Parts: sequence; C-alpha cells; structure tokens
Amino acid sequence: MANRLFIYLLFIVCMQGACLLVPAGVTATGAGGGADFLNDDFYDEKGIETREISDPLEPLNRVVFDVNDKMYIWVMEPLASMYSHVVPLDLRGCIDNFFWNLAEPVRFVNTLLQGRFTDAGNVLLRFVINSTGGVYGLGDPAGREFNLSKVVATMGGTFATWGIGDGFYLVVPLHGPSTLRDFTGTVIDGFGMTPYYTWTDDLYVQGAVYTGKATNSLSMHLGEYEKLKDVLFDPYISFRNGYMQLRREKPDFRSSDPD
Amino acid sequence: MIRRYPFTSVIVLLLSAWLSAGMSTAVLAAPDPTEQLRPFVDKILGILTEETLQGEENRGKRRVKVMDVAHERFDFEEMSKRVLGSQWRQLSNSEQGQFVDLFTKLLEHAYIGKIENYSKQKVVFKGQRIKGDRAQVETELVDKEMVLPVSYIMILKGSEWMAYDIVVEGVSLIRNYMEQFREIIRKDGYASLVKQIEDKVHELEANAGKPDTTDLLIDKKRS
Repeated sequence: MANRLFIYLLFIVCMQGACLLVPAGVTATGAGGGADFLNDDFYDEKGIETREISDPLEPLNRVVFDVNDKMYIWVMEPLASMYSHVVPLDLRGCIDNFFWNLAEPVRFVNTLLQGRFTDAGNVLLRFVINSTGGVYGLGDPAGREFNLSKVVATMGGTFATWGIGDGFYLVVPLHGPSTLRDFTGTVIDGFGMTPYYTWTDDLYVQGAVYTGKATNSLSMHLGEYEKLKDVLFDPYISFRNGYMQLRREKPDFRSSDPD
Repeated sequence: MIRRYPFTSVIVLLLSAWLSAGMSTAVLAAPDPTEQLRPFVDKILGILTEETLQGEENRGKRRVKVMDVAHERFDFEEMSKRVLGSQWRQLSNSEQGQFVDLFTKLLEHAYIGKIENYSKQKVVFKGQRIKGDRAQVETELVDKEMVLPVSYIMILKGSEWMAYDIVVEGVSLIRNYMEQFREIIRKDGYASLVKQIEDKVHELEANAGKPDTTDLLIDKKRS
C-alpha cells in the first residue's frame, strides 16, 4: 500500500511539472465555462481557440488511436456483441448500476474536493439508498424513486477546478482520448477503488473485472462507433476535437459518463 | 364637452390602431425561434411516419421530401461559410455555390438520410436563449433508454430563424467538420478537400440502400 501511495505521489509531482511547461494560452481554454455558440468567434479560426489543445505527441497518438480502433472493432465489439445476445438488457442495466454504485465513494471525495457540497450530499445519499434498497447497487431506486440523478465527479475535474491545465492531448491504449491531466485523474480515481480489490491480489481477476465492466457498458452502445466513423474524414482529428469540445462543456465527463 | 367627445374618440381610435399596428410589427420583428422550430420538427417526423412513404422502396422518395423541408429551416450556406473558415473568402461566387451544394449533399447523406432511425423518438423542447439575431434552442431526443441533448444554433434572416449548426451533447457538428477540413486544406489544398467530400458522398450514397451491417451486431431487443 505504501508503495502505491508513493507511485501516486510521484505521478502528481511529475504531472504538475509537465503542466507548468505548457504555455498559459493553451491551458486557459481547458477549464471554465462552456462555449458560447451564439458568438461567431466560436467558428472563427483566429477566435478563442486556434487549436483546442496542444498535441505534441500527434504521431504517437495516431498510432495508439489506430490500435485502439482495431482492438475495438476486432476484439471488444464482437465480445460485447456475444455478451449482449446472452445477457438480457435488464440485467446489463443492473450490472452497469452495480459498477456505477461501486465508484460513488470516489465521486463523493471528488465533489468535496471541488466544493460541490450539495452534489456531495446527493452522491452520499445515492450510495446509501442504492447499496441497501437497491440490493448492493444493482438497482437505482435513488434515481427512480427519490429523483436523485447521477452526479459526475472525477479527479480530472477536481484538477480543473484547482486551475491545473490540461497539459496535452493523449490517446491512451485501451482507454481512448484523454489529456495528461485527465488521465492522471483517472489513474488516481482508480487507486481510490483499491479497497474493493483487497479481496483478491490476483492481477488476472482484477483485469477480468475491468474487462467485464468495459464489455458490459459497451454492450449498450454497439454499432454507434462505426456509424459515427462512417461520416468522418479524419477520425483522429474529429475525436480530438469532439473530446475537447465535450470537456469544455463538462470538464468532468470522462470515465464516469452517466451513459 | 359634447362637441369634443367625438374628437377624443377619433384620437383614441387612431391611437389604438397605431398601437396595435406597432405591436403586430414588433411581434413580426421578433418571431420566437422555438415556435418556428417546433412545427418544422413535427413536419419532418410526419414525413418519416407517413403511411404512403413506408418501406425500403420509398427510401429515396422519403429523403427527397425530408430535404425539401430541411431547406425551410436549415441554412446550408451559413453552415458552409463557417465550416470553411478563411478559405470561404478566397473562393469565387460560383465556387462558393458549388461548395454549398456539395456540403449540403454530404449532410443529406451523412445525417438527414439517417434520421429515420430516430422516428420513434420524441423531441422535447427544453428552452431557448436569444442574443441579438442569434438563438440557441435546446431540445432533447428521448426514447426509453436514453436522452440525447441536441441544440439548434440559429440566425434570424428577415422573419425566419434559420439553423446553421447542431450541437449534440455539447459537440458542435460544424466546428468538428471545420477542424477536419482545415487539416485537409493545410496538407493537400482545397481541391483535394472537394475531391474527398465528393468521394465520401458517393460512398455514403452507395451504402444507403444496403442493409446496415452494424445492426447485425446489435441485440434486436433494443429496438
């Protein structure tokens, strides 16, 4: 445990160092409010964001993007497709709820760190209600009966509220579009989940849990990726732009997206 | 007093006539974007569910009808202008016209021809924001499994609000294409961009009639 803590601290220090190297102009557009679509600057190349984010690793990122693309189409989707034929939709919804509920404590900490106290209360209430009334989180009575909708809060979002810039664009193997800041946040959120893994030290089991989670959530979105890619000219740029646009709207959306 | 009475009533009459005329022009000058968009969406959904237009063999006919209606509320020139950015100003009038036609074709085959998949979903109007001659109308596409936020970005032309961008879950369609187009123009030039869009349109056109292979992946219980 002490070892992990050390790695985690080292990661933060490295990341903050890297973020300092990034020009302020790039980081400034990262956090903060959404875009004003009614302002023509939004469509102007010389406007608010000549480039959404710096991408010094573009050649490497493109390679990873292609690998992810193939992994997705050749491995993940057939797997999720088979899975979707075996496991009925209702049950898949329950499994999704279950994983969502497991991560509520991490979200609770992040809402506190971001100063979103009402949301923190809601997350805590959701966790208590769903873990008991929802039978270990398989159901979502907090959402259905108590009208407590899902709250998204990630470490990446916490960093954003602390004024830490995005750093640069990063395509992570088997994870997808991210930025240096967001991925660091994702890793730390992952550490927050470690108490659940104490029941097994087996890496294979942990990997299987992760794959199961990803397969389950993908089984609800089959075919969407191909359809989207069909109408694009340069999927790499489109996804980078889409990721950054989404992020500007909701800095917190990554990895705990309600869908 | 008695003699002045008719005179006053004439003034009141004139005044009220002038006021009501003034008010009606004021209403004309500021039409409501949501109120204009709502019947448009209903019209499109009407075409998709019209009985005489059902079936695979009527796919082309449906698309033509939808496109006709789409021109009423979508301003494809405003879209083209923005998606090209500075390149637009370097084009001659006829080149601009050609690009508008081409980009319209792209949107027709990439999105408008595919909205049929959404005919069973409900469009809920969530609100609007107006700033001068621009407006953002927020809607949600709802079915039993998901809610997709879709915003229409509109510009006031005369008495009509015309959409020039669609923002899906916070991602602007025009801005996203703009970034892709800019890279292509930067690397290979404008002519190559035109060529690539033409190819994409042909590709989408050719695939339009074919059964959707990705549907085979999807558990039919979803639909």
